[in-house]
Amino acid sequence: MEQGWRRQRSASPSGSGSVVVRKHRPDHLIALYAGMLMLIGLVLIYAIGPQRANVLNSVFGYDYSDTYFFVKQLVSFVLAVGSFVFFAMLPYKWVTRYATQLLILGLLASVILAIAAWAGLPIVQTANGATRWFDFGPLGTLQPAEVLKFGVLAYVAVFLAKKAKEGPVNDWKNTLYPVMAVTSLSLLLIVVVQKDLGTGIALAAIVFSMLFIAGLSWRNVAVLSGALLVIGLLLIVSAPHRMERVMTYLQGDSSTTQDDGTYHIQQAKIALGSGGLFGVGIGESVQASGYLPEAINDSIFAVFGETFGFVGTMALIVLFVALLMRMLRVMDRLADLRLKLLVAGVFGWFGAHVILNIAAMIGIFPLTGITLPLLSYGGTSMVFMTAALGLVYQLSRYTVHESRIKEETHEDSRSRRGVGRTRNASRRSS
Amino acid sequence: MKQTVLYTRRSRIFATILLLIVSIFVVRLFYLQVIQHGHYAALADQEQLKKERIPAMRGLIYAKSDGKPSLLVMNETVYTVFADPAIIKDKQEVVDVMKRVAGGNLRTDFEALLDKTDSRYQIIATKVTRLQADKIKEEGLSGVGFQAVSQRVYPEGSLAAQVLGFVNGEGEGLYGLEGYMDADLQGVDGRLETVTDVSDVPLTIGDRNVREPAQNGDNIVLTIDRNIQSYAEQALAAGLKRTGATNGSVLIMDPTSGEIMAMANLPTYNPAEYFKVTDVAQFNNNAISKPYEPGSDVKTLTMATGIDQGVVKPEDTFLNTDAIEIDGWTIGNATKGKTGIISFQTALTWSLNTGFVTVAQRLGDGKTITRSARETMYQYFHDRFRLGQLTGIELANEAPGILYAPDHQEGNAIRYATMAFGQGLDATLVQVTAGFSAMINGGSYYTPTIVDGYVVDNSYDPIDAPKPVESGVVKESTSDSMRAMMETARASSFGYLDRQGYKIGGKTGTSQVAREDGRGYKDDESIATYLGYGGTDMPEYVIMVSLSGEGRELQGARDALPVFTDISNWIIDYLKIQPKG
Repeated sequence: MEQGWRRQRSASPSGSGSVVVRKHRPDHLIALYAGMLMLIGLVLIYAIGPQRANVLNSVFGYDYSDTYFFVKQLVSFVLAVGSFVFFAMLPYKWVTRYATQLLILGLLASVILAIAAWAGLPIVQTANGATRWFDFGPLGTLQPAEVLKFGVLAYVAVFLAKKAKEGPVNDWKNTLYPVMAVTSLSLLLIVVVQKDLGTGIALAAIVFSMLFIAGLSWRNVAVLSGALLVIGLLLIVSAPHRMERVMTYLQGDSSTTQDDGTYHIQQAKIALGSGGLFGVGIGESVQASGYLPEAINDSIFAVFGETFGFVGTMALIVLFVALLMRMLRVMDRLADLRLKLLVAGVFGWFGAHVILNIAAMIGIFPLTGITLPLLSYGGTSMVFMTAALGLVYQLSRYTVHESRIKEETHEDSRSRRGVGRTRNASRRSS
Repeated sequence: MKQTVLYTRRSRIFATILLLIVSIFVVRLFYLQVIQHGHYAALADQEQLKKERIPAMRGLIYAKSDGKPSLLVMNETVYTVFADPAIIKDKQEVVDVMKRVAGGNLRTDFEALLDKTDSRYQIIATKVTRLQADKIKEEGLSGVGFQAVSQRVYPEGSLAAQVLGFVNGEGEGLYGLEGYMDADLQGVDGRLETVTDVSDVPLTIGDRNVREPAQNGDNIVLTIDRNIQSYAEQALAAGLKRTGATNGSVLIMDPTSGEIMAMANLPTYNPAEYFKVTDVAQFNNNAISKPYEPGSDVKTLTMATGIDQGVVKPEDTFLNTDAIEIDGWTIGNATKGKTGIISFQTALTWSLNTGFVTVAQRLGDGKTITRSARETMYQYFHDRFRLGQLTGIELANEAPGILYAPDHQEGNAIRYATMAFGQGLDATLVQVTAGFSAMINGGSYYTPTIVDGYVVDNSYDPIDAPKPVESGVVKESTSDSMRAMMETARASSFGYLDRQGYKIGGKTGTSQVAREDGRGYKDDESIATYLGYGGTDMPEYVIMVSLSGEGRELQGARDALPVFTDISNWIIDYLKIQPKG
């Protein structure tokens, strides 16, 4: 793979379809929207942290202080900002160059995690029968699935771009099978071994988004969707807790069963509904005091809706949509297909999280245990999300006007300006 | 190149899908948060709000004793023991402990109830004292719980039972004061609504926390004097025993205020064990609830009407032939032989019906009881002495009685002729006593009252002395004349019974009892009454005695009067009334 990438690089200055662009001002709105979302999350955790601590203390006898969750989230916030800045600064070429290594690192980490869990080593954290985290004690925890997700993102983007350039995106043998192999292996580790369906869905969304943008034929879209559906169904049927969630969802409001899923959704709806138009106000959420499961993680959207009401949820959705549309805009204006696909992957990643999380909270899709990006409590997911966003932010420096992409990617382009810029840019970037 | 167009198109598809999904979210959120807000807010309240009732303490009831409040009705906390058969581990142990500690409080079928394992709540014992409950708790039985219940306690037993009424198992006051003033006695339960977290720990979040303390019920002090009440009950019981009457009532009132000093009814019951009463008639306070034809006592009111209207004077005379005919219907006297030209004083002393029919005639044209005579009588009896209407005493189940107006079909001359000697109208003892009091106290009508004040924060807070609801019911001179007549009447036959130096007056009554079928009167039954007063210059007490019994011919002078005399002679001492002259 590395060789392939090198070949591509060496070919790029003169090859058709590749545009070398001048590095310019990034799209600050991406940073702004992401920052606003993170701040909202921080405020919310600040408001409900004491309740969360209270509940855990009284039910499980822990001794969390009122500010425990806020302080931890503040640390995550700082780390996430650092990670954003890091990936905004780190030349994207590193990501594309070491895509394979990143993927291998992710896979290895997952495998080591599984072995460590099997061996019962103290460096892992097991919760609810699933081992998902490395525990580095005072240094915090790390979820290798996030590394793997990032690895898959980088690797598939580079791989697909290369194949697309050569033409056979819809070629099963040369393109789709390898992509599926990488994806399946990752899914196996994440969903089956780590029992984390949410991250698995995000991963699938990443790969699918990239394939779609890369030009997957509608027929293959249908085939892959079907395959994903079958895999999904198998995964659901094979795990009782997932089956339960789906049944809960299917029964909807008329559900009479009192399982955890029904309760979770019902409490989320009570949180949202009792928020009304303007919400109960900051620090006034009662649902967060133990009624609503996962109040600071997966259910934070419901707590947000309780706190800020319909007006708040609308504003939040507008922010999310604005950020996602911004990503699409950057994607459209990137000339380099690898970069386009990276952004597409991040779009899929971020979008899948937002959509699946909210859909579950408002009771129109089964619970998948997926976080609301940038708002949910939890360092790893936020740090990797901001890493991805930082990367997109960096890539927004390399956009060109859409018309230019068309001009310059046409064989018979006659734009002088483009040529001039190319020369200019290549001088700078060297 | 085609490829670029494709990328852009695919990107548009992403944007479209995103916006589509988000618009579903918007609609759904609008539905959940705006349209269904009320529904979910209610659900939130339901699970987040812990609602508790803070029970208000039912007000205590006091009598007076030497002018100070003295408890008649208190509360005590008892426990209802319930079992949850589903989680009882050792049934035999429960049975043994319960039998040992609370044998008398157990429900007879409680062992069978313990076997109903599909049930979660079975009451196995009631009215268990705190001491017993503590003992049971010490045994640490699983599946046995306690519920605190407040119940009424009566330190004076059945004293003034019909005046008090009782409180049923649901905490509802029935009969008497408990029934009439139920709302005041109950007070208002407090509310405690707390927003709690999922493990019921109270939170200080939001504005939904409510803490309304309970407002305890009013502690009511009765005008009843416990000693007078007690003596009246004893005297009445003795009277029943002596005369063979089965029912009796005594009503003692302060004629200058309308305050009831005693109100006794026999047979009686113990309000603590109201549930053991088989004949609900025992709950009735006959002095206010059972209208009767008051009979000769009312002759005093007829006489007062005549005097007040200036048509007769006590010393005026009429021809008594022991019979008088009204519209073809002849009325006779119970006491025969006082014929000839006699005074109205004589007529009152011997309770001669003809004399009072004559007064009624003189209210008209002197020969017949004209419409205007009837109107005058109605005005006095109904409007001034307030017979045949509710007095408004603060007790439940007061009955109004009936007094036919002259414009009523039943209000003819014959009716009014009989009313002149107390038949043909239905009134209660309290009505007659109150009207009589107005007649003898100088003409001020006081509403009979039984509430003297309240105990607020452990101190007695009397309400202001009652004011007459109407003055000039009769002229002062009429009142003086009537007292003189009644004192003369009593002195002429029974004066030797009374303490010297006091002015005691009264009137016997022997009422006929209307047949249930409405055709005339029973010839084997009569009600004996005595209505009198005592004091020095002015009357200080009015005592009404009534004795009756199924199939018993009881007579005012023979049967009721001794009870009056007994109480009257005692009460002079009790009230420390100084003799005069």
